[in-house]
Amino acid sequence: MTEQLLVVKDLVKHFGGVRAVDGVDFHADEKEIVSVIGPNGAGKTTLFNVVTGFYGADSGTIEFDKFPLAGLKPNRIAALGIARTFQQIRLFPNLTVLENAMVGQHARTRSGPFGAIFRPPWTIREERAIGDRAREVLAFFGDSLLPYEDMMAFELSYADRRRLEIARAMATHPKLLLLDEPTAGMNPVEKHGLVSLIGRLRDERGYTVVLIEHDMPVVKNVSERVVALDHGQVIAQGSYEDVSNNEQVIEAYLGKKKAVESA
Amino acid sequence: MAVPATVQRDRTIEESSSWLNRGVAATGLIGGLVIVYLTAVGMVESFQGLNVLTDVLALGRTMVIITFLVVGYSAARRLTRQGHVAQGPRLAGGLVAGAVAGATAVLVLLAVDTIGVEHVRRMFQSFTANVVDNVLSFGQGVGFGALALLVGGAALGLAGAGLQLLPNRLRRATLTGLGTAIVVSLANEFIVAVFRNVESNFGLDIPLAWLYTGTGLAYSGLVVMFAAGFAVSWWRTRTPPEPETTRAAAMSGERSLWDVFRRGRPLKIVGWLALIALLVLMPLIVGQFLSQVINTVGIYVLLGLGLNIVVGFAGLLDLGYVAFFAVGAYATAILTSSASFLGGPFNFWVAMPLVVLLAVFSGILIGAPVLRLRGDYLAIVTLGFGEIARVFIASIWLQEYLGGAQGILRIPGPPLFGINLRNPQNLYYIILAFCLIAAFVAWRLKDSRVGRAWAAMREDETVAEAMGISVINYKLLAFAIGAGVGCLGGAFFAIQVGSVFPNSMDLLVSINALSVIVLGGMGSIPGVVLGAFGLVGLPELLREFEEFRLLIYGAVLVALMILKPEGLLPEVRRRRELHERELEEEQYEERVGEGAEPVLRAEAAEDEDKT
Repeated sequence: MTEQLLVVKDLVKHFGGVRAVDGVDFHADEKEIVSVIGPNGAGKTTLFNVVTGFYGADSGTIEFDKFPLAGLKPNRIAALGIARTFQQIRLFPNLTVLENAMVGQHARTRSGPFGAIFRPPWTIREERAIGDRAREVLAFFGDSLLPYEDMMAFELSYADRRRLEIARAMATHPKLLLLDEPTAGMNPVEKHGLVSLIGRLRDERGYTVVLIEHDMPVVKNVSERVVALDHGQVIAQGSYEDVSNNEQVIEAYLGKKKAVESA
Repeated sequence: MAVPATVQRDRTIEESSSWLNRGVAATGLIGGLVIVYLTAVGMVESFQGLNVLTDVLALGRTMVIITFLVVGYSAARRLTRQGHVAQGPRLAGGLVAGAVAGATAVLVLLAVDTIGVEHVRRMFQSFTANVVDNVLSFGQGVGFGALALLVGGAALGLAGAGLQLLPNRLRRATLTGLGTAIVVSLANEFIVAVFRNVESNFGLDIPLAWLYTGTGLAYSGLVVMFAAGFAVSWWRTRTPPEPETTRAAAMSGERSLWDVFRRGRPLKIVGWLALIALLVLMPLIVGQFLSQVINTVGIYVLLGLGLNIVVGFAGLLDLGYVAFFAVGAYATAILTSSASFLGGPFNFWVAMPLVVLLAVFSGILIGAPVLRLRGDYLAIVTLGFGEIARVFIASIWLQEYLGGAQGILRIPGPPLFGINLRNPQNLYYIILAFCLIAAFVAWRLKDSRVGRAWAAMREDETVAEAMGISVINYKLLAFAIGAGVGCLGGAFFAIQVGSVFPNSMDLLVSINALSVIVLGGMGSIPGVVLGAFGLVGLPELLREFEEFRLLIYGAVLVALMILKPEGLLPEVRRRRELHERELEEEQYEERVGEGAEPVLRAEAAEDEDKT
């Protein structure tokens, strides 16, 4: 059996009376691609936010690589090897494409203000390595990012901005990549490209990928396992076929059968 | 691309209108009201005493003339944006707008004449019979004056529109030439003073008669200054040499002297050498009084560089920056003044590292409680900290140590080989040295891992955290380094004045420091220097304008923020961000000139489809 990279047990997160995440058990194995589906408000993004440390959990445990994440700040969790993208694209719009990818390596590098001011040889070496690695990550996306490394991030096209967000996450040198609706707003061709890209992320880079996705064909093509959430609880998980034929899942998306028939 | 799409849409709606439309009339009306305003506050009359061109043209009338020109220019520009391609309507629009402006002024003039100037003066004290009878009417009666304003206004409006019709490069050069001539004319007192100084310090004899007669430009001066401005602008806007030819030349190894010259490299070297010479010789050139002004500028450069790290780099809006200024000033005073409770145990050079260390510590102290605050909330809380610092210093509780309202006196200058450094002309060099160090530190930090982390934090704090940046550490670091740099401004302030008082540590210092970086361009290091000159130096240069000084100064600031919201010397990225729309419009205008209208319409339609 493969190694379990991320293990979430009985996770609870309430906002006042709203049970956004209500006792979720979830795991992602090493080099696995998992899709998280569910209607709006099911708690998918909240799950991501708790895992990455933006919200503290009310109860339950999260272990990453056998290491408990409880109480850690987002920057520590990023340093441990979890990188994410956001539902609404959140780049650093007024930094260049290259700088965005360079910032991603912050947790993997060390020079501080003294290095910055006096520029000793090791700082110069590190800067060069940061630049090289940033370009290498951009090059992963073929010709869609690297030729524009000096453009401001806000000047990129929509799909390229999505790509850059993934590139920036890759630059943090993660083991686990959390993608929040990576195909939102893309056209069919771009979606198709992204499906193969996610496959490459796992095959060539060895990342474990967990993605939130609404587009069922994408989910079908990309994921090895599907987890369906509704009202903060896991209602089904397994292969795409199993989950997509699960009665509860259909209900969650379309409403109860009786209600539909009587209407 | 939401913004350009709306621009396009506006354009299509306005395009259908005729050239003689509300926009043209409104431009004229605004111009007319500007003239009336300038007259009513007394500027036109007061400035009639300042000659711009020998004794033919004084500043009072020049202001009226410029207003008309601007009216014509902006009317024509407006028509261009509305899609009027042909020259006829644009010229006519300028003419009409100028006439409307003239008519507005005439109406007020006639009204004043009918009511009687003495009645108007009860409300507008600066309205005099002189401005009506002589300045605007040339002493020929109000009827003549009305005609002159109307006809002159229309003619000047036409001329302004004509300027707008010129090709981009020629227009820019012409405007630069005119601007240069006017500025040189207005700065005559300053320029003459500088040259007299140079004469006496270097034993030279520089004739200036060709440039100025009395207080205005001489004709030869006008021609030379216009030509100089025109030539510089023409040179700067030259098209860069074709990439192919340069590459070919580089490959064949042929680089003629002319090629090198054409790319402007020797010019750059000469420019740098001139700058260094200017910096070194500055106190000798400008004399004692202006050296003091420049030292004050230097103090604000230090403050600006420090605050720029906090606000410009890290995006933390600190309105209480005066606290660090106060720490610098008081720490210097306590450590070096014989009147302090310590008795001034140290000289400047020993005290300085301690002062910086203390400021760094105070930066962390003030930074720590505000770590969780963002944006507006941070601004308000830091504003409070600034006030707390002042109250703290003035308190009776600490009077024994900080001197309370009496402050601390007898702060000595830095000792250096027995040279008297209290003399502003000598102190200048020490301040310059520290400014250079501070600028170097800021420049190195900006382009480093630390600088990138700050920039990321400024752009999006949440995401920066998700990228592994410890927001807490980097905020504290920004406050600490910002305080360490800014405290130098306070230290030199204490040395320059020779004493420190709580009253000098007020909110205005924070506001001025922030204005320096906003004016210069947020995050830009050369911008800080230019901003400090503009904000601290300009008011000194405007002394000639007496009671209108602050009015003009305010108008300049407002105009700058409208025309260049990114500041005087912005970073490339900020300029791109704020002028995206205008860049597109400029391209549009250029293409209109080439008769590309149908293509543009098709593009507009396409853009609409996309959005």
